[in-house]
Amino acid sequence: MNQPELFCPEFALLLGALLSFACTAIGTTTRVAWLVSITVALIAVGTSAVALSYQGQPFDAGMYSVDAFSQVLKLGISVALAFAIAISQRQDSTRASARTEVHFVLYLSALGMMMLVSATELLTLYIALELSAYGLYILAALHKRERLGSEAAAKYILFGAAASAISLYGISLIYGATQSTYISVIAASGGSPLLIVGIVLTLAGVLYKLAAFPVHAWAPDTYQGAPHEASVFLATASKVAAVGLLLRVLSMAGGETEHLKTLLIVVAVLSMSVGNLSALFQKDFKRLLGFSAVAHAGYLLLGLLTFSELGAAAAIFYVLTYVPIVVCAFLVVAAVSQNGANPSIASLAGLYKRSPFLGLVLLVAMFGLAGIPPTPGLAGKWFLFSAVIEDGHLWLVLVAAINATISLYYYLLVVKSAYLSPPGDAPAITLSPTYSVTAFVAVVLVMFSGFYPAPVWSMAKAAASLLF
Amino acid sequence: MSELPILSAILLCPLVALVITILLPESKATAIKVVNALAGLVTLGLSLVVWFQYDKSAGGYQMVEDVPWVADLGIRYTVAVDGISVVLTLLNAIVFFTGVLSMWTLQKRVKEFFAFMALLVFGVFGVFISLDIFVFFFFYEVAVLPMYPLIAIWGSTRKEYSAMKLTLFLMVGSALLFPGLIALFVESGGQTWNLVALSEPGTFSEGFQIFVYPLLYVGFGILAGMWPFHSWSPIGHVAAPTAVSMLHAGVLMKLGAFGILRIAIGVLPLGAAYWAPTFAFAATVGIVYGAFVAMRQTDFKYVIGFSSVSHMGIVLLGLNTLGVDGTNGAVFQMFAHGIMTALFFSAVGFIYDQTHDRDIRNFGGLAGQIPVATSFFIIAALCGMGVPGFASFWAELLVFIEALRVFPALGIAAIAGLIFTAAYILRVLGKAIFGPQNPKWDHLVEPTAWLTIPRIILIAVLLFFGFVPSVMLDMIGSATGGK
Repeated sequence: MNQPELFCPEFALLLGALLSFACTAIGTTTRVAWLVSITVALIAVGTSAVALSYQGQPFDAGMYSVDAFSQVLKLGISVALAFAIAISQRQDSTRASARTEVHFVLYLSALGMMMLVSATELLTLYIALELSAYGLYILAALHKRERLGSEAAAKYILFGAAASAISLYGISLIYGATQSTYISVIAASGGSPLLIVGIVLTLAGVLYKLAAFPVHAWAPDTYQGAPHEASVFLATASKVAAVGLLLRVLSMAGGETEHLKTLLIVVAVLSMSVGNLSALFQKDFKRLLGFSAVAHAGYLLLGLLTFSELGAAAAIFYVLTYVPIVVCAFLVVAAVSQNGANPSIASLAGLYKRSPFLGLVLLVAMFGLAGIPPTPGLAGKWFLFSAVIEDGHLWLVLVAAINATISLYYYLLVVKSAYLSPPGDAPAITLSPTYSVTAFVAVVLVMFSGFYPAPVWSMAKAAASLLF
Repeated sequence: MSELPILSAILLCPLVALVITILLPESKATAIKVVNALAGLVTLGLSLVVWFQYDKSAGGYQMVEDVPWVADLGIRYTVAVDGISVVLTLLNAIVFFTGVLSMWTLQKRVKEFFAFMALLVFGVFGVFISLDIFVFFFFYEVAVLPMYPLIAIWGSTRKEYSAMKLTLFLMVGSALLFPGLIALFVESGGQTWNLVALSEPGTFSEGFQIFVYPLLYVGFGILAGMWPFHSWSPIGHVAAPTAVSMLHAGVLMKLGAFGILRIAIGVLPLGAAYWAPTFAFAATVGIVYGAFVAMRQTDFKYVIGFSSVSHMGIVLLGLNTLGVDGTNGAVFQMFAHGIMTALFFSAVGFIYDQTHDRDIRNFGGLAGQIPVATSFFIIAALCGMGVPGFASFWAELLVFIEALRVFPALGIAAIAGLIFTAAYILRVLGKAIFGPQNPKWDHLVEPTAWLTIPRIILIAVLLFFGFVPSVMLDMIGSATGGK
């Protein structure tokens, strides 16, 4: 291994995994385990920020690439991980016997995701994909109500296994078509029909990770059934990694993008529509967020299907700004949740009175998801739509914008419950200092990138410029 | 021109008020009101400074501030004013200030109310002074969304339904604007979002203009209350609390008309020429239909709500004439209607706060019971009829003259609509204000001196521009190229 410093964000996560494992092995209290985890997670965020400008190939040439693209996404992943661990301070929804193990699994999964966005060789990529997935399979099962957890995990793992198998088959076809597993070699080989078929099959596993139609059905169930900290990790870090993975896989097509584009347009439109229309009828807040994630997968695909630098940058911008917005939403979930039960939308009633600050956090989250300024949701959509129109699909933007209108309805229902309904006899909520700080940081990140999107945009743009 | 970034200062005022409001504890209700009233006063003062500093003889965009925002996408924070923006900025400042004063007696969730209201005003100011399409749309959306909580929490009469309907209608408008606005950027070569640069003749082919124009016109038109997409507007008015009705009819609907004028017509003149007869027809239907429906209403606020549809129809008709006089009249009408409706709602709000009743049939002879309070209503009503001496007279006159020239048939129909306007206004006056007294309301009290201040300001503005319309027309004319 040459230049080990290139690998330092991953080392930080590996350290976190080992330390968390040590905590479970020697049987520390959950509090100590959490303190260790959050400290390392913050170190990992710092390391990823320092490593933003790193470039190189720490392993054999062509296998694993450290560049602006991978480093930006790694920063996103480590930030999402830190938020998830901060939220896991309150582990009401997690099975008591597994509370210290959660962090170990979170770290391993995040490590897999980091490797995923750097992998430029298909087998490395596949192994990273599985590493990130196994952790999530376990996490999804840890809800303290065993039935709920088992269902969440079973759906996730069955879908995951099927999608992964299809991907592997796709990879074998790609190898058959090009006699190579190196993405750069494949991309240069010129698209043959077999290669395109291989890419389409590989996409199955990728779209599954993104929770896009038609492999989206696990998302609402798993979001609902997983412990809160697992759901937030799934909703944020996993999405960031999925965007990175998708961009790598799509880059293999070289210039032959026509059929892939048609396919992705269909997938995007159906993801948005199915996600939004299903979310209209949800009563469980986490389940609603699950369907909303499906809809957002559709928006993200808008940027990716253009196969342009602008589109890729818009998708990266969108997913990076999406992280703190979703964190705000899940923070409310975790704070409102009583004894680990999932909050229904009705149970948010009177939140403005029970905790004015939490009410504001929820407002930011809902407006952010709906794309209302001054959150970055508007800028994100604007950039994505710009890319799509530049690619010549005006009608697709119209469809997406109408979808955004539909989604506003159910986001407003949540706001309505929190701001209009009286609290009844529900007690006031006092946030722990950790939660207050976490919420504050998330809101500040959202507001800052909403009012001044330029810094995040230039990171996204630098990342995307490497691919197109 | 001054060195001070005065436009940004105006924009910053409501934002500062918002932050202070959030930081103050809920219990300090009076402090919150004072902060917002001060912010209103400062913006009013600054708007007047802008008015007097603006060089009318030079015309064009002045007091330009230009800072890159997202540089490599060509998005810049570019703010500037022309004669139209100057007028509308002043309008927003007046309505903001008087709106805060009208809500002085608010008790319920004071902090949140003023926070949302400041956010709304912030957005409206931003729209009026932005020259960059992205920045324009950013502020546009900022302005629209606070209406939801403002109506749903503090409103009355099916407030949740009305708030949701209003928001979704306006968002459908935004859904049309998204592709329309971005298409302008892409089609022009993907270099600039600047409205002035995009307005250069020859930037867009005629086919493109004809294709995109309806997206923009209808997208903005929904917010301007254009028929047949107006139905959110009257129910929104009825449900909203006083200051929100004032802001809603007074400035928010103007955003739509302003968007049409500045972006749809400004950037796509050939598209506008192609579609003008169609949309002028829709506007005329709106004028007549709004007045017609207003005649049958029994709720004070519904009468005003439908009268707004009718009056905004006049604005849209004026814009669709595409002529100098019509445009001048439309902008003047935007201003006059904004002030007038604010006065209307503030007068009705005062009565409603005491009686919790707005059914015209339940009142009678209010003029004998609370002469001062009803006089405000009467003045607004006279202005609504377009009686000479009030600002709206000149505005409507200009629009109708131009309309008769360009679309004679529509012009005649629109003028005939005025008869219905007179009818519904006189009906309300005859029934509720004059006529036999209803003893049930003998106990009503007059507004305190403090509460009359905002109304007197509004009346003074209406009368001033009614008697000296040239002050206004000079200003607007410096932007449209005529007086």
